[in-house]
Amino acid sequence: MVDIIFLGLAIFAIGGGFGMILFSQPMHSAISLIVTLISLGGIFALLSAPFLFMVQIILYAGAIITLLLFIIMFLNIRDDELPDEPNKNITIIIGAILLIPFNILILKAFNTFPEKSMNILGKDFGSIHSFGMELFNKWLVPFELISMLLLASLVGAVVYARKDKNRDG
Amino acid sequence: MQERIKIEMADLLLSYIALAMILFSIGFLGIISRKNIFIVYMSIELMLNAVNLIFVALGRYNESMEPQVMAMIIIAIAAAEAAVFLSLIVVLYRNKKSLNSDIFNVLKQKDTANG
Repeated sequence: MVDIIFLGLAIFAIGGGFGMILFSQPMHSAISLIVTLISLGGIFALLSAPFLFMVQIILYAGAIITLLLFIIMFLNIRDDELPDEPNKNITIIIGAILLIPFNILILKAFNTFPEKSMNILGKDFGSIHSFGMELFNKWLVPFELISMLLLASLVGAVVYARKDKNRDG
Repeated sequence: MQERIKIEMADLLLSYIALAMILFSIGFLGIISRKNIFIVYMSIELMLNAVNLIFVALGRYNESMEPQVMAMIIIAIAAAEAAVFLSLIVVLYRNKKSLNSDIFNVLKQKDTANG
């Protein structure tokens, strides 16, 4: 049963990823990416990370990709303004062939790990409570640094998007 | 006598790693093959997610919560990246009326040695 769920989610994730790099309209690509991200959220749930599953759907599919869709609609891009990509397919095929040895290397490295069942853990592994205890006991300093990073990116985004008064047009 | 239980695909670490590697490769192919700056951005997001998947799978393998916290931090950094990257795209599109990532060569340094 778990096998079927895993295979289904994996097929959706890979299909969404391929759709993302093959569609020419950015809007269609963004919607394919949402499919991939939600499937990955389901795989997080299979790996007993229910809190990350929630965060993935709320933050990634709900916030980041919505922001991206908003920007795409806001710019109102016409078809003739899209960059033409004559070598798209041939680059994808050659790149895929060149990436195969790299993938085999990584998989061989992970193949040396001893086999172990990875069924879903019960109790509070991955629940909000244990996640919060872990975050605020061991990872408090990185958590605070993240707030500084978010503030810096907020200021940076405002500075970028401000109208430049020195230049007309 | 205990019968050996057949290990399912979803029970193997290797299947999760393989999925993550496929997604990472797709993201990489998107970056090298597409000119549209939006697709490049989405490919970066996909690569970040593949790394997240490896983190969470190894965390489940070792029954440790720490990789999940790391994955959470990666998601927060991706959110920060989204804000900056998208505002940069808006500024670039306003000035150049193009989404081609090749126009980023306006960021290159001028060669002042030759005058």
